[in-house]
Amino acid sequence: MSALPDVEQQEQTEVVVETDRPWVTVVWNDPVNLMSYVSYVFQTYFGYDEAKASQLMLQVHHEGRAAVSTGARETMEVDVQAMHSYGLWATMQQESAG
Amino acid sequence: MKGFARKRGRYVAHLDRTERTILSRVVADTALLLGTRLDIELPAAEPDSLASLDWSADEIAEPTDPALARLLPAASEDDGIAGEFRRLTESDLRAAKVDRLRMVWGALLAPGERLEVAPEMAMDWAAALTDVRLVIAERLDIQTDDDAEAVYEAATRRRRPGDEVDEVRSALASLYMALTWLQESLLTVMLRAL
Repeated sequence: MSALPDVEQQEQTEVVVETDRPWVTVVWNDPVNLMSYVSYVFQTYFGYDEAKASQLMLQVHHEGRAAVSTGARETMEVDVQAMHSYGLWATMQQESAG
Repeated sequence: MKGFARKRGRYVAHLDRTERTILSRVVADTALLLGTRLDIELPAAEPDSLASLDWSADEIAEPTDPALARLLPAASEDDGIAGEFRRLTESDLRAAKVDRLRMVWGALLAPGERLEVAPEMAMDWAAALTDVRLVIAERLDIQTDDDAEAVYEAATRRRRPGDEVDEVRSALASLYMALTWLQESLLTVMLRAL
Protein backbone atom coordinates (compact mmCIF):
# COMPACT_ATOMS: atom_id res chain seq x y z
CA MET A 1 0.00 0.00 0.00
CA SER A 2 1.42 3.30 -0.90
CA ALA A 3 1.11 6.06 1.59
CA LEU A 4 0.97 8.68 -1.11
CA PRO A 5 -1.34 7.31 -3.79
CA ASP A 6 -2.45 10.70 -5.03
CA VAL A 7 1.02 12.04 -5.68
CA GLU A 8 2.10 8.88 -7.47
CA GLN A 9 -0.92 8.85 -9.68
CA GLN A 10 -0.48 12.49 -10.57
CA GLU A 11 3.16 11.97 -11.52
CA GLN A 12 2.31 9.03 -13.71
CA THR A 13 -0.34 10.99 -15.54
CA GLU A 14 2.11 13.76 -16.34
CA VAL A 15 4.65 11.32 -17.71
CA VAL A 16 2.01 9.67 -19.87
CA VAL A 17 0.86 12.98 -21.33
CA GLU A 18 4.43 13.95 -22.19
CA THR A 19 5.37 10.67 -23.87
CA ASP A 20 1.97 10.31 -25.54
CA ARG A 21 2.60 13.24 -27.82
CA PRO A 22 3.91 11.35 -30.83
CA TRP A 23 7.09 12.11 -32.69
CA VAL A 24 7.26 12.57 -36.43
CA THR A 25 9.93 12.04 -39.06
CA VAL A 26 10.05 14.95 -41.48
CA VAL A 27 11.73 14.68 -44.89
CA TRP A 28 12.87 17.99 -46.40
CA ASN A 29 13.17 18.92 -50.06
CA ASP A 30 16.61 19.05 -51.62
CA PRO A 31 17.64 19.78 -55.21
CA VAL A 32 19.66 16.57 -55.65
CA ASN A 33 17.49 13.58 -54.82
CA LEU A 34 15.54 12.19 -57.76
CA MET A 35 11.76 12.02 -57.44
CA SER A 36 11.92 8.37 -58.54
CA TYR A 37 14.49 7.59 -55.84
CA VAL A 38 12.53 9.31 -53.06
CA SER A 39 9.39 7.48 -54.12
CA TYR A 40 11.31 4.17 -54.19
CA VAL A 41 12.65 4.76 -50.67
CA PHE A 42 9.18 5.60 -49.33
CA GLN A 43 7.73 2.46 -50.92
CA THR A 44 10.43 0.03 -49.86
CA TYR A 45 11.43 1.39 -46.45
CA PHE A 46 8.00 2.40 -45.10
CA GLY A 47 6.01 -0.12 -47.15
CA TYR A 48 3.74 2.60 -48.57
CA ASP A 49 1.90 1.82 -51.79
CA GLU A 50 2.84 3.69 -54.94
CA ALA A 51 0.05 6.27 -54.57
CA LYS A 52 0.92 7.17 -50.98
CA ALA A 53 4.67 7.24 -51.70
CA SER A 54 4.12 9.52 -54.70
CA GLN A 55 1.82 11.81 -52.74
CA LEU A 56 4.42 12.20 -49.95
CA MET A 57 7.24 12.66 -52.47
CA LEU A 58 5.27 15.42 -54.25
CA GLN A 59 4.46 17.05 -50.92
CA VAL A 60 8.19 17.18 -50.12
CA HIS A 61 8.90 18.58 -53.59
CA HIS A 62 6.19 21.26 -53.65
CA GLU A 63 5.78 22.20 -49.99
CA GLY A 64 9.42 21.74 -49.00
CA ARG A 65 8.74 19.05 -46.40
CA ALA A 66 6.43 16.22 -45.42
CA ALA A 67 5.85 14.16 -42.30
CA VAL A 68 6.53 10.62 -43.49
CA SER A 69 6.13 8.61 -40.30
CA THR A 70 4.73 9.00 -36.79
CA GLY A 71 5.40 7.08 -33.59
CA ALA A 72 7.54 6.71 -30.52
CA ARG A 73 10.78 8.67 -30.36
CA GLU A 74 12.91 5.51 -30.61
CA THR A 75 11.08 4.45 -33.77
CA MET A 76 11.56 7.88 -35.32
CA GLU A 77 15.28 7.72 -34.50
CA VAL A 78 15.47 4.51 -36.52
CA ASP A 79 13.53 6.10 -39.39
CA VAL A 80 15.66 9.26 -39.45
CA GLN A 81 18.85 7.22 -39.41
CA ALA A 82 17.54 5.15 -42.33
CA MET A 83 16.64 8.30 -44.29
CA HIS A 84 20.14 9.71 -43.67
CA SER A 85 21.62 6.43 -44.81
CA TYR A 86 19.68 6.79 -48.08
CA GLY A 87 20.90 10.38 -48.45
CA LEU A 88 17.54 11.99 -47.73
CA TRP A 89 17.50 15.04 -45.50
CA ALA A 90 15.32 14.12 -42.51
CA THR A 91 14.71 15.41 -39.01
CA MET A 92 12.54 14.30 -36.12
CA GLN A 93 10.39 16.38 -33.85
CA GLN A 94 7.70 15.92 -31.29
CA GLU A 95 4.28 16.93 -32.52
CA SER A 96 3.22 20.17 -30.90
CA ALA A 97 0.55 19.88 -28.24
CA GLY A 98 -3.03 20.54 -29.23
CA MET B 1 27.88 5.31 -71.27
CA LYS B 2 24.83 3.11 -71.61
CA GLY B 3 22.34 3.32 -68.75
CA PHE B 4 20.91 0.46 -66.74
CA ALA B 5 18.53 -1.99 -68.37
CA ARG B 6 17.12 -5.25 -67.06
CA LYS B 7 18.76 -8.29 -68.63
CA ARG B 8 18.03 -11.83 -67.48
CA GLY B 9 16.97 -10.63 -64.06
CA ARG B 10 19.98 -8.38 -63.53
CA TYR B 11 20.52 -4.65 -64.02
CA VAL B 12 23.18 -4.02 -66.64
CA ALA B 13 24.90 -0.78 -67.69
CA HIS B 14 27.95 -0.13 -69.86
CA LEU B 15 30.69 2.32 -68.93
CA ASP B 16 33.95 2.59 -70.84
CA ARG B 17 37.34 2.62 -69.15
CA THR B 18 37.57 6.42 -68.93
CA GLU B 19 34.08 6.73 -67.46
CA ARG B 20 34.84 4.01 -64.92
CA THR B 21 38.10 5.67 -63.90
CA ILE B 22 36.48 9.09 -63.43
CA LEU B 23 33.54 7.62 -61.56
CA SER B 24 35.76 5.46 -59.33
CA ARG B 25 37.71 8.59 -58.36
CA VAL B 26 34.66 10.54 -57.23
CA VAL B 27 33.46 7.46 -55.34
CA ALA B 28 36.85 7.26 -53.59
CA ASP B 29 36.76 11.03 -52.92
CA THR B 30 33.36 10.66 -51.27
CA ALA B 31 34.65 7.84 -49.04
CA LEU B 32 37.68 9.98 -48.19
CA LEU B 33 35.39 12.80 -47.17
CA LEU B 34 33.75 10.28 -44.82
CA GLY B 35 37.18 9.48 -43.40
CA THR B 36 38.20 6.31 -45.26
CA ARG B 37 40.78 5.76 -48.00
CA LEU B 38 39.47 3.02 -50.28
CA ASP B 39 42.82 2.35 -51.95
CA ILE B 40 44.51 1.18 -48.75
CA GLU B 41 43.96 -2.26 -47.32
CA LEU B 42 43.69 -2.07 -43.56
CA PRO B 43 45.50 -4.77 -41.58
CA ALA B 44 42.87 -7.37 -40.67
CA ALA B 45 43.21 -6.95 -36.91
CA GLU B 46 43.00 -3.19 -36.81
CA PRO B 47 39.47 -2.18 -37.80
CA ASP B 48 37.85 -3.87 -34.80
CA SER B 49 40.18 -2.44 -32.20
CA LEU B 50 39.76 0.99 -33.73
CA ALA B 51 36.02 0.64 -34.01
CA SER B 52 35.73 -0.11 -30.32
CA LEU B 53 37.38 3.22 -29.60
CA ASP B 54 34.96 4.97 -31.91
CA TRP B 55 32.19 5.24 -29.40
CA SER B 56 32.60 8.19 -27.16
CA ALA B 57 30.52 10.04 -24.63
CA ASP B 58 31.93 13.28 -26.00
CA GLU B 59 29.89 15.49 -28.22
CA ILE B 60 30.57 15.19 -31.94
CA ALA B 61 30.19 18.50 -33.70
CA GLU B 62 28.29 18.91 -36.94
CA PRO B 63 30.80 18.69 -39.81
CA THR B 64 32.04 22.07 -41.02
CA ASP B 65 32.48 20.95 -44.63
CA PRO B 66 28.99 21.53 -46.12
CA ALA B 67 29.27 18.42 -48.32
CA LEU B 68 30.06 16.21 -45.33
CA ALA B 69 27.32 17.94 -43.35
CA ARG B 70 24.90 16.96 -46.13
CA LEU B 71 25.99 13.30 -45.88
CA LEU B 72 25.70 13.39 -42.08
CA PRO B 73 22.95 15.94 -41.48
CA ALA B 74 21.52 17.17 -38.18
CA ALA B 75 18.62 14.94 -37.10
CA SER B 76 16.75 17.73 -35.34
CA GLU B 77 16.37 21.48 -35.20
CA ASP B 78 16.89 21.02 -31.46
CA ASP B 79 20.67 21.05 -30.89
CA GLY B 80 20.42 18.76 -27.85
CA ILE B 81 18.48 16.08 -29.71
CA ALA B 82 20.68 16.46 -32.81
CA GLY B 83 23.85 16.16 -30.71
CA GLU B 84 22.71 13.03 -28.91
CA PHE B 85 21.59 11.44 -32.19
CA ARG B 86 24.94 12.23 -33.82
CA ARG B 87 26.87 10.78 -30.87
CA LEU B 88 24.93 7.53 -31.07
CA THR B 89 24.60 7.05 -34.83
CA GLU B 90 27.22 8.97 -36.78
CA SER B 91 29.93 6.33 -36.74
CA ASP B 92 27.47 3.63 -37.96
CA LEU B 93 26.21 5.96 -40.66
CA ARG B 94 29.72 6.71 -41.89
CA ALA B 95 30.57 3.00 -41.94
CA ALA B 96 27.39 2.07 -43.86
CA LYS B 97 28.06 4.74 -46.48
CA VAL B 98 31.73 3.78 -46.84
CA ASP B 99 30.82 0.07 -47.23
CA ARG B 100 28.48 0.89 -50.12
CA LEU B 101 31.01 3.19 -51.76
CA ARG B 102 33.66 0.48 -51.44
CA MET B 103 31.36 -2.05 -53.12
CA VAL B 104 30.66 0.34 -56.03
CA TRP B 105 34.34 1.29 -56.27
CA GLY B 106 35.35 -2.37 -56.54
CA ALA B 107 32.79 -2.99 -59.30
CA LEU B 108 34.01 0.04 -61.26
CA LEU B 109 37.63 -1.14 -61.08
CA ALA B 110 36.75 -4.61 -62.40
CA PRO B 111 37.81 -5.22 -66.01
CA GLY B 112 35.45 -4.80 -68.95
CA GLU B 113 32.75 -2.27 -69.79
CA ARG B 114 29.78 -4.23 -68.55
CA LEU B 115 28.47 -3.26 -65.12
CA GLU B 116 26.14 -5.87 -63.68
CA VAL B 117 24.09 -5.22 -60.55
CA ALA B 118 22.07 -7.93 -58.80
CA PRO B 119 18.58 -6.64 -57.89
CA GLU B 120 19.25 -7.17 -54.17
CA MET B 121 22.29 -4.87 -54.46
CA ALA B 122 20.48 -2.19 -56.48
CA MET B 123 19.45 -0.10 -53.47
CA ASP B 124 23.06 0.00 -52.25
CA TRP B 125 24.10 1.21 -55.68
CA ALA B 126 21.36 3.85 -55.82
CA ALA B 127 22.22 5.09 -52.32
CA ALA B 128 25.96 5.25 -53.10
CA LEU B 129 25.24 7.22 -56.28
CA THR B 130 23.09 9.56 -54.19
CA ASP B 131 25.93 10.24 -51.77
CA VAL B 132 28.36 10.96 -54.61
CA ARG B 133 25.83 13.28 -56.26
CA LEU B 134 25.18 15.08 -52.96
CA VAL B 135 28.89 15.85 -52.63
CA ILE B 136 29.30 17.04 -56.24
CA ALA B 137 26.13 19.14 -55.97
CA GLU B 138 27.54 20.85 -52.90
CA ARG B 139 30.78 21.60 -54.77
CA LEU B 140 28.69 23.08 -57.61
CA ASP B 141 26.80 25.09 -54.99
CA ILE B 142 23.45 23.58 -55.99
CA GLN B 143 21.22 24.71 -53.12
CA THR B 144 17.82 25.01 -54.79
CA ASP B 145 15.87 23.35 -57.60
CA ASP B 146 16.55 26.50 -59.68
CA ASP B 147 20.33 26.09 -59.13
CA ALA B 148 20.08 22.51 -60.39
CA GLU B 149 18.13 23.68 -63.44
CA ALA B 150 20.76 26.38 -64.13
CA VAL B 151 23.59 23.82 -63.98
CA TYR B 152 21.69 21.63 -66.42
CA GLU B 153 21.06 24.55 -68.81
CA ALA B 154 24.65 25.77 -68.67
CA ALA B 155 25.95 22.29 -69.42
CA THR B 156 23.66 21.73 -72.40
CA ARG B 157 23.88 25.24 -73.87
CA ARG B 158 25.83 25.48 -77.09
CA ARG B 159 29.03 27.41 -76.50
CA ARG B 160 29.75 30.49 -78.58
CA PRO B 161 33.23 31.74 -79.45
CA GLY B 162 34.40 34.13 -76.77
CA ASP B 163 32.26 32.57 -74.01
CA GLU B 164 34.13 32.51 -70.73
CA VAL B 165 34.13 28.96 -69.44
CA ASP B 166 35.23 27.68 -66.05
CA GLU B 167 36.60 24.34 -67.25
CA VAL B 168 36.70 22.70 -63.83
CA ARG B 169 33.14 23.67 -63.04
CA SER B 170 32.04 22.64 -66.49
CA ALA B 171 33.63 19.19 -66.10
CA LEU B 172 32.07 18.78 -62.67
CA ALA B 173 28.66 19.75 -64.06
CA SER B 174 28.98 17.19 -66.87
CA LEU B 175 29.95 14.52 -64.34
CA TYR B 176 26.99 15.46 -62.14
CA MET B 177 24.61 15.16 -65.06
CA ALA B 178 26.05 11.84 -66.17
CA LEU B 179 25.65 10.45 -62.63
CA THR B 180 22.11 11.78 -62.42
CA TRP B 181 21.26 10.14 -65.73
CA LEU B 182 22.88 6.85 -64.67
CA GLN B 183 21.00 6.84 -61.37
CA GLU B 184 17.71 7.66 -63.07
CA SER B 185 18.18 4.71 -65.44
CA LEU B 186 18.82 2.46 -62.44
CA LEU B 187 15.72 3.73 -60.64
CA THR B 188 13.61 3.12 -63.74
CA VAL B 189 14.41 -0.60 -63.68
CA MET B 190 14.18 -0.75 -59.89
CA LEU B 191 10.70 0.81 -59.82
CA ARG B 192 9.52 -1.50 -62.59
CA ALA B 193 10.55 -4.49 -60.45
CA LEU B 194 8.46 -3.42 -57.42
